[in-house]
Amino acid sequence: MLTGPTPAPSIRTNALPMTITPPPSTAVRQRGALRLAALLAAGIGALAWLGRSSDPAAKPLSAGPLTLGAAIAFTGNANLYGQDQRMGLAVAERWAQQSAPGGRPVRLQLEDGASDEPSAIAAFNLLIRQGVIALIGPTLSQQAFAADPIAQRQGVPVVAPSNTAQGIPEIGHFISRVSAQSSVIAPLSLDEALRRDPAIQRVAVFYAQDDAYSTAEVAIFQKALAARGLTPVTVQRTQLADNDFQTPITATLPLKPQLVVLSVQAVAGGNLIRQLRELGYRGQIVVGNGLNTPNIYPICQRWCDGILIAQAYSPELNTPVNRRFLQLFQQAHGDRPPPQITAQAFTAYQVLFEAIQRLQRKGGLTGVTLGQARANLMSELLSGTYNTPLGPIGFSPEGEVLQDRFYVAEVRMAPGGRDGRFALVRERTLTEIPGQESKP
Amino acid sequence: MIEALLQTLLNGAASGGVYALVALGYTLVFSVLGVINFAQGALFSVGGYLTFLLMGGKIGVNGALPGWGLPEGLPFWLALLLAAAGSGLIGLLVERLAFAPLRRRNAEPLLALITSLGAGVVLVNLLQLLMGAEGYAFPQSTDALAGLPDVLVLGGARIRTIQLLLLLISAAAVLVLSLWLDRSKGGRALRAVAEDATTAQLLGIHSEAMVRLAFFLSGGLAGLGGGLIGVSVSLPGPYFGIGYGLKGLAVLVLGGLGSVPGAIAGGLLMGLAEALVPSSASGWRDALAFAILFGVLLLRPSGLLGRRTVEKV
Repeated sequence: MLTGPTPAPSIRTNALPMTITPPPSTAVRQRGALRLAALLAAGIGALAWLGRSSDPAAKPLSAGPLTLGAAIAFTGNANLYGQDQRMGLAVAERWAQQSAPGGRPVRLQLEDGASDEPSAIAAFNLLIRQGVIALIGPTLSQQAFAADPIAQRQGVPVVAPSNTAQGIPEIGHFISRVSAQSSVIAPLSLDEALRRDPAIQRVAVFYAQDDAYSTAEVAIFQKALAARGLTPVTVQRTQLADNDFQTPITATLPLKPQLVVLSVQAVAGGNLIRQLRELGYRGQIVVGNGLNTPNIYPICQRWCDGILIAQAYSPELNTPVNRRFLQLFQQAHGDRPPPQITAQAFTAYQVLFEAIQRLQRKGGLTGVTLGQARANLMSELLSGTYNTPLGPIGFSPEGEVLQDRFYVAEVRMAPGGRDGRFALVRERTLTEIPGQESKP
Repeated sequence: MIEALLQTLLNGAASGGVYALVALGYTLVFSVLGVINFAQGALFSVGGYLTFLLMGGKIGVNGALPGWGLPEGLPFWLALLLAAAGSGLIGLLVERLAFAPLRRRNAEPLLALITSLGAGVVLVNLLQLLMGAEGYAFPQSTDALAGLPDVLVLGGARIRTIQLLLLLISAAAVLVLSLWLDRSKGGRALRAVAEDATTAQLLGIHSEAMVRLAFFLSGGLAGLGGGLIGVSVSLPGPYFGIGYGLKGLAVLVLGGLGSVPGAIAGGLLMGLAEALVPSSASGWRDALAFAILFGVLLLRPSGLLGRRTVEKV
């Protein structure tokens, strides 16, 4: 229905202009191009100067507190680990306050690195721009491969509390970790399973194929199995977000495995164990570092009982610093043992804090720019030795952690299957591990 | 051979039943408003956590109120129904906050996708704030639910009892909803609004009330699915519903936008497609399932049971 007069149709013409301007001469064109080039060069120069003047690394180190930045997963699928790391960092802050060494205060700035690579990169960039002296994080190895090169390029020391995949310290001089790589730890739990049942021949392997850490760890497990003369009867590939494993399990059980090896993350692993047991698997289960958290207890419940895991931390280690760590943790979180990932986050803070104190005493933070202070801190960090809850540790020149003690634990669930603990069953030193005598 | 086939069918039906439940929630809202409620996955998570709390579960150490919980837990079945109703009410709240203001302003339907996505993200983050990121196990284990064993062997094929229960409850919920839509006055009114809201309004049907009812039912279905999955695989964290929400969305498209039988058929087909992927290629399960979706849509752009719409010029 029309409600008004019909508007006149508009006509667009594409007529040529009535006058024709002659093309500019070559000299005029050259002058214009030169002006444009000069303007562009001036603009780029101004931007570079502005960029340099806003780069905190180029400025003198401020006299205020030194800031450590931590980019860990508060959100996304890895938030379970991030939550444990946050507890470790909070305990470490209290420990640092109480140790009161004097000098400049150190404060911690937390940033959500979420569970994906772009978020970890964004968190690293933000913290670096805010002028942190060093970084802790990110939570996942997969994120580290994306975010660490940024810190490396800008000369910011990074201590990874939970990146165990191969190749992390090799990213660059400024990248280090306190989490021993899985190639050292993972095979220990296999040895324990074979010690308990030397007749094991049939092994089934499950791993998350879309997770860099799990794929790296499963390669180590498979190499270790081959070294022990075992070939898997099946290798099942799952995905990080999977929770229902009915199909891969029912495909595996007819192959009658005597040992199941899992390299998946905590939640998926907890469900996989539960469903394996519910569907009738009764053999031994060896799990990778992804399940190194008490957060699996509520998921696999009574079915967690008996699983074997190799660890870089044991709450049962009887050293002064571990007792202090345990005490502070239990004051905050009740009478339960801290997870390994919490102890490693504590350690990441501790080594940076102690390196800063030593550097201050040597004058390495006086009269320098932030960039120089960061470089000095990295050198100091790598040259020191530390008594940590993980035991005595140091670093190789590449930033790889040098840790001597490792543990094999068995999950023992309390009656009712609601809670449990990682009970220490074996302690190994590096010299006892075949093939590791001369390695970090 | 028959045993393996039966095992595949059971595996597929068990996961397909839940996909159908989620897709049905999408379908209800899509049929009356023509938009997709992206908060559906978050409502799935809400249902799981509500069921847990109503059964007497306590909030973990990283939650807002550590150790808090109901003094007495309800039996699973009652908790599940109340949690579904609770999720339905939150679904209603999502409608009031994310959809109704846009509808009043005659805004682009596309905007509702963004507002509902925002509502979903807020819900999941609120859950994390309240409950923490840790996993939760239901206070009553599956054997306490029905006095049944952990696993049932049917014709040589194995299925976890809880998964069979899950399949049966999903089927019952879908059946009840279909009967209600077909036979009851309220159901017919909802279908009339879905067909043509203006004509339905002229016939005396309160269209706004029907929209609200669709959101309530849709949230309730998501909550029911969340509670059932929660008891099957525990609550692995606040984000667990998002994956099911995305899968439900694919099922909605596969079955045909707005088609109730299509949602059921799509869910079962998707579940079966996943179960058919050989174990050696299990990591490619999602890729294959979505390739099937792609193939079906190439042949039938309106989905398996969707109606082809003819636009008059």
